[in-house]
Amino acid sequence: MELYDELIAADGSPRAHASVLIDSLNRLGHERLVASAKRRDAIFVQQGITFDTYGPDGERDRPFPLDLIPRLIPSREWEELERGIRQRVLALNRFIADVYDAGEILSDGVVPWELAVTRAGFTREAHGIKPPGGVWCHVSGCDLVRDAGGTWRALEDNVRVPSGISYVLENRAAMSRLVPELFTDYAVRPVGDYPEQLLAALRALAPGGGTPTVVVWTPGPANSAYFEHAFLARRMGVELVQGGDLVVRDATCYLRTTTGLARVDAIYRRVDDAFIDPLALRPDSLLGVPGLMRAFREGNVAIANAPGTGVADDKAIYHYVPEMIRYYLGEEPLIANVPTYLLSDPEQRAEVLANLDKLVVKPTGESGGAGVFVGPTSGEREVEELRRLVELEPSRWIAQETVWLSTMPTMSHEGPVAPRHVDLRPFAIYGDDVWVVPGGLTRVAMQKGSMIVNSSRGGGSKDTWVLAADGARQHPEAPAFDPPTLPGMRQVGWTEQQRQQQQAGPTGSARGRR
Amino acid sequence: MLARIANDLYWLGRHLVRAEHTARMLDALFQAELDHWSEHPSSVRISWRSIPLLMGASPGEAEVVEDDARETVTRQLTTDERNAVSIVSCVSAAREEARTLRDTISTEMWESLNTFFLELQKPDLGGRPRTGPHSVYAFVRERCALFWGLSLSTMQRDEARSFLVAGGRVEAADMVLRMLRVALPPVRPADDATKELPRRDGNALALLRAVGGLQAFMRSQAAPPNAEPVAHFLLVEADFPESVAASAEALHRSLARADRDPQASPPVLRLRRLLADLELRRHSTVPYDELPAAFREIQQELGLVEREIDAHYFFREAAPEGSLVVQ
Repeated sequence: MELYDELIAADGSPRAHASVLIDSLNRLGHERLVASAKRRDAIFVQQGITFDTYGPDGERDRPFPLDLIPRLIPSREWEELERGIRQRVLALNRFIADVYDAGEILSDGVVPWELAVTRAGFTREAHGIKPPGGVWCHVSGCDLVRDAGGTWRALEDNVRVPSGISYVLENRAAMSRLVPELFTDYAVRPVGDYPEQLLAALRALAPGGGTPTVVVWTPGPANSAYFEHAFLARRMGVELVQGGDLVVRDATCYLRTTTGLARVDAIYRRVDDAFIDPLALRPDSLLGVPGLMRAFREGNVAIANAPGTGVADDKAIYHYVPEMIRYYLGEEPLIANVPTYLLSDPEQRAEVLANLDKLVVKPTGESGGAGVFVGPTSGEREVEELRRLVELEPSRWIAQETVWLSTMPTMSHEGPVAPRHVDLRPFAIYGDDVWVVPGGLTRVAMQKGSMIVNSSRGGGSKDTWVLAADGARQHPEAPAFDPPTLPGMRQVGWTEQQRQQQQAGPTGSARGRR
Repeated sequence: MLARIANDLYWLGRHLVRAEHTARMLDALFQAELDHWSEHPSSVRISWRSIPLLMGASPGEAEVVEDDARETVTRQLTTDERNAVSIVSCVSAAREEARTLRDTISTEMWESLNTFFLELQKPDLGGRPRTGPHSVYAFVRERCALFWGLSLSTMQRDEARSFLVAGGRVEAADMVLRMLRVALPPVRPADDATKELPRRDGNALALLRAVGGLQAFMRSQAAPPNAEPVAHFLLVEADFPESVAASAEALHRSLARADRDPQASPPVLRLRRLLADLELRRHSTVPYDELPAAFREIQQELGLVEREIDAHYFFREAAPEGSLVVQ
């Protein structure tokens, strides 16, 4: 089977944009890379950039696995992707706004209404709400992959609480400290201004005047993405709050502070839709804030992402995203979907059930790779078990053609460098317009042949470099202005003469230093 | 207390703070350089060639540094023992002073500083700034913090400690002023004056990182980290410990405590005038274009305070001025 490697062409020679990187890696040598990898783990553990793995032999506080060989995306390729992502986010946002309003796309039959309203993410309580600027999904992350031909495809959309951006920023910081040599010959577009972009977008949402109070709302320190929540709050310089810190009075949201209640204008929430408000949504939610949905509906507080966005990242809705792009934007999709089959459709179902061993089957309402079944790497018994589950409740499942993900040379567990499968999660912020972080989180499957990239299941990551237009590094020119002449630094110390005379001593006895 | 001992304590404080600020500054510059991207508005314009100027070299001398500016400057400022302002030289000098003062400072302070010095003498240090500068600078920061922390918990709060802290604060105020003067463009480009300021200003961000104040700024200021608010923050913010005003305030507290008669003490009185000036600036909006002149005046005034300190407490002429030696 033919695979697509992003650095090395089929004939074994480096691709044009990668030859410099490969030279630098060779100069660095394998030993240096291994040594840097050891230092990386020590630094990550020290800084607390860790995650927990799940399962029977799950570990706590493992250093986040960053592979030191970066992934390169040439500038022209990225521009294309950026346009494609923007288009997708715009269409998804229009879809959410439409579903909770007139539902035109449903009445026009482009997306079946019975499918939309039965999705787990469909939130009836959001109906009729008009969020500021008509934006619902302020932060999104589409998962992209490259197939065996090297073509980029969208694999799924995350418009609820996509996580991973903190690793993008931390990976870049770590890379620049561990292997600064690799940056010497490339102009890499920086990713560090994500927190500023997010803060500006959140402030713009706030209903009140003056300087708006923005908070990051986390489910709490036990959440697996708590590191990221704290990271974003710290970098934006805003408060990190839990449900108990917030209170709603008269449909207005407040923070409990030592100096009394303080008005909150915008909430970047990392709590799942269903848990936001026990009065309006799941009544058993201990994380939520009673009355928050009402405050949101009345426009007294902005919530990003708006409650209800989950309807758009359902995997059955994914199938219709290309149609949405045509319907709302009148454009052809720039990034194609992976061919998908809806198992609620009897014809498609029969087809899929006959070919289970060749397809990937996913539960629709889940995220993070949970419950995904990969046909070509599964055994007979698993296939039979899945067949039973699908027949029991077909609308819970979709099937996709297996995509043989592209590969990147990777240092697997300090062993030799070998190709491993990768995907890409770029992050977009929808403020005045859609802004996409150059690059995103590249996840890599560390096991040979595996296509499971999720870090909770042993996947690693790579720093993703979007190269600047000319690719080559611009050495900084002379300063743009002439600094003034400063006074000299004042200095004091022993004079050599003083020291010699002291050392000689009165009787010539050696007064050794202690 | 003997004037000589007080002078040694004062310079012990100065040398350690100089080493710490230099380490932070170089680390921030490395970071900024990697963020550099020519087409991006946030690209950092400050270059390695500005650093000799910052450390007091005259523009003629600084011209010598050419293509490998980064390597030359880092070496000169990190490991070069011939340069009195390099980190290694500052720590060596501080250690010599501490050795002289072993009966005055606590044993724990001496031991932590001596370990610091010995660690920097290890032969593999020379290669590290080139490949992994961060580890060296992080080490310097940590060791300096350890020393000051031990001084807080193990040293009597007497005259001796006052001179130690006074030296540290003079140096901090001086270094931050130097960075402000070199990193911020003297005038806002004319065509930018009417435009909305960018969300992100590479120079200003690098400056905040160089002083270790990025987080403090983000938490306390509503404005985005641009040149103007950052300059204001680093110059007059009362609650950020490394701002010029906060350092001057701490210097004043130390001197007032050590001085027998602060009301009649020339350095204290001169310092009070400087503090009043900074206080005034805190409450007024200085137009951006007038900032360079303000920085210059404040640094001159601080230099005069230093002279008064030397004359009044140490019976000395002002310490000589030197600069980074450019080879």
